[in-house]
Amino acid sequence: MGHAQKATEFNKDEAKVNWHDKALWYVREKRDKSAHNVQGWEYLRQLGSGIKANVLSNLDEYLIQFETNAKNNGIQVHWASNAEEHNTIINSILEKHNAKKVVKSKSMLTEECHLNPFLESKGIEVVDTDLGERIVQLAEEPPSHIVLPAIHKTKEDVDVLFQEHLDTKPSGGNPEYLVGEARKHLRDKFLNADVAITGVNFAVADTGGVVVCTNEGNADMGVHLAKAHIACMGIEKIIPQEKHLGVFLRLLARSATGQPITTYSSHFNKAEEGKEMHIVIVDNGRTEQLSREDFRASLHCIRCGACMNTCPIYRRSGGHSYDYTIPGPIGSILSPGKDLKKHSSLPFASTLCGSCSNVCPVKINIHEQLYKWRQIIVQEEKQPIVKKSILKTAGVVLSKPKLYKMAGKSARFALKHAPRFMIYNKLNAWGKARDLPEVKHESFDEWYKKRRKNE
Amino acid sequence: MSREAILNAVKKNKPEVLPLPEIDVSVFQEDIDVVKTFKDNLALVGGQVFEITTDAIDAKIKEQYPNKSTIVTTTTKSNLGNVEIDKNTDPHTLEHIDLAIVQGELGVSENGAIWITANNSLVRALPFITNDLVIILDKRNICLHMLEAYDNIAKRDRDFGVFISGPSKTADIEQCLVVGAHGAMSLTVLLV
Amino acid sequence: MTNNTIKVGLFIPCYVNQLYPQVGIATLELLEKLGVDVYYPQNQTCCGQPLGNSGYEQDSKGICNLFVENFSAYDYIVGPSGSCIYHVKHHFDILEQTPEVKRVRNNAYELCEFIVKILGKTDLGASFPHKVGLHKSCHGLRGLKLGKCSEVQGEHYSTEEDLLKEVKGLELMALNRKDECCGFGGTFAVFEEAISSKMGKDRVQDHLDSDVEVLTGADHSCLMHMEGIVNRNKQPLKVMHIAEILNSSL
Repeated sequence: MGHAQKATEFNKDEAKVNWHDKALWYVREKRDKSAHNVQGWEYLRQLGSGIKANVLSNLDEYLIQFETNAKNNGIQVHWASNAEEHNTIINSILEKHNAKKVVKSKSMLTEECHLNPFLESKGIEVVDTDLGERIVQLAEEPPSHIVLPAIHKTKEDVDVLFQEHLDTKPSGGNPEYLVGEARKHLRDKFLNADVAITGVNFAVADTGGVVVCTNEGNADMGVHLAKAHIACMGIEKIIPQEKHLGVFLRLLARSATGQPITTYSSHFNKAEEGKEMHIVIVDNGRTEQLSREDFRASLHCIRCGACMNTCPIYRRSGGHSYDYTIPGPIGSILSPGKDLKKHSSLPFASTLCGSCSNVCPVKINIHEQLYKWRQIIVQEEKQPIVKKSILKTAGVVLSKPKLYKMAGKSARFALKHAPRFMIYNKLNAWGKARDLPEVKHESFDEWYKKRRKNE
Repeated sequence: MSREAILNAVKKNKPEVLPLPEIDVSVFQEDIDVVKTFKDNLALVGGQVFEITTDAIDAKIKEQYPNKSTIVTTTTKSNLGNVEIDKNTDPHTLEHIDLAIVQGELGVSENGAIWITANNSLVRALPFITNDLVIILDKRNICLHMLEAYDNIAKRDRDFGVFISGPSKTADIEQCLVVGAHGAMSLTVLLV
Repeated sequence: MTNNTIKVGLFIPCYVNQLYPQVGIATLELLEKLGVDVYYPQNQTCCGQPLGNSGYEQDSKGICNLFVENFSAYDYIVGPSGSCIYHVKHHFDILEQTPEVKRVRNNAYELCEFIVKILGKTDLGASFPHKVGLHKSCHGLRGLKLGKCSEVQGEHYSTEEDLLKEVKGLELMALNRKDECCGFGGTFAVFEEAISSKMGKDRVQDHLDSDVEVLTGADHSCLMHMEGIVNRNKQPLKVMHIAEILNSSL
């Protein structure tokens, strides 16, 4: 099922659509206010983009530099070409520590690699500790947003879910009560965890350290209590120097939620004495995306989610309608590179309004890439026969003025004289919620000719 | 081996080298009262802040947190600590700490964040696992923005460090901001 | 160059030609009032945008070449549709970049931008005593940068507002969401029908909530979409292209 069908489903409950749209628009407005407060914001974005472009053009050198520095600090570095290798490496580290209980803070990469089901199949308990992620984990759903994983759930939904899984009392969806109960529940998990897994927001080549950003403190609670820390990162998370964090940390939270910075920006350079730290560096299709000149800038992404919050389609179709780990505009340019056939509807789930490119803190030309993927998809994937024949015919007709004039006339004639039921039937998607334009008695062409004659 | 495979694929697929941009910090220069802005931003992120003299530290903490029974102090600026910890303390034993009082290294005006290292907290888990957190910060150590902050902490022994901006919080339930997620439930900053 | 030595090729987008002749007429009359020499190449059809946006760029080369053939002789190419002009400027890169192609791409202007930037005029002597809501179409706003959009930092400016503010009696109403997309998006309107209609509905509602009597904009494709919703729901809102307002002397 493509995006359009899933979006249609989502739109059956209009009140929910309005609620979802408003919740995310509120975040977008907070982002505007916060970003526009920063002197030189647009220059900051320019820097973010320029640094990321440099990183991609020298990525192999930076990765080696990063590895060397990390190893010098006693960190164990692992490399995984794909999701399977990533999962196997993690499992072997867990086996070494005889770990049965794992806490994990937010990592879209482990989501992409389907790490949880893999570890669960080995009898390991994996608990997502970000509250939003814990909510969707209990609901057995994927996150619908990369920063706000449970944005599709109402507080009443969460209330019911917690009653079922955490034995809470009905509270009518009282957020403070629910967060308090989640805190107790997860404290217990933190205190008993063997190993902590985290994502990586930035990996600094010149120090070999990684930075993890959270608001809840869940990454730190996990890492500092467990025997070992495994940090998982895509190869594109590298930044050249520590001082560049000064650029990216200014951009990230403001773009994501409108906060000036996340509550915790934790810099891990060495394991605590007596503990271990591992970093798993993952490719899983990223080097292939790097080879695509028109699309490689998608690897600039710092996962702030701003493009989702601003996207009028995302806000009205929900993250699950994209059916990909990273939903929304950025997901729609990343996913075709992973599986063109499966995700071929996503680049069309956009009006190309361009707002995503404008909010992007690293200036990815998202809407231009959507346009480019469309050209490729039409060439390489089978297209609906009606759409294809209409557009191919249009290509011919519109390049021949005489044919066009005839076609224009007959189209207007048909619109004007066809009975209403012929136009407003099920096949006519335009007419479902919209009237067709009223047909005037002549075209501009015809008017213009007459006018010339009378002059 | 995957390492070589990845590095070779990068080498093959990467574009011509593009220059690393120079950062012109003058663009971000603002003539503002950094202490005032720091205080405003800290309030914005849910922390509270008091400008006091060094000798008033303990009285202020007692006033703000009157009913705390287990207190850890890792700075000589306060004498309220009643639980001793050192670098080798098992962090699990800190589960029921009510209040931690630590020294902050550096404040950042633009976002109310304070830099704290493992040296400041002795045990890395302390500022997170404690129920409430007090950070004492010398107001002369407040800088304008994050770029300046990284200049200031560039020469350090790197093990673990964290910028903390306010108490832990979440908005994961219907975008309702709730203070007190997994980390400290409250943050009080004492500027001296 | 005085205005009457400027040779303008009038570009009337295909759907305007067929369905909204009054918009083409207003555009032509307005340009003539402003004293420019307007020519209407009669072999023109379309800019190719419907194909490009749908992924059929390769099938649109004939259309694009015809466009260049029709318009390369003029100092400026002016059309009452931001998205078509955007397409010419940004997506004609599929053609071989001959001097003619480059010239056409450089000299293509959306109507309002042409009047304000090239002719340097904002007061066109129009009067239109109504409460007006301006829909800032995305390709004009974010593509051609006819104004500052809400997500970008910087000083406010708006080419269409500059013109509307000078219209006598016109009251420009503030909207709740200043520049959200209306959901037309070309074939998106049909292939993502549910979202497209919902977006259009929300946009129309914003104008109604803001006491707008006449909804206007510089891109009639968005207006066609929203007018379809207004008419279906019999909502008290008139939809007019900005050229019609600027050309009126009520």
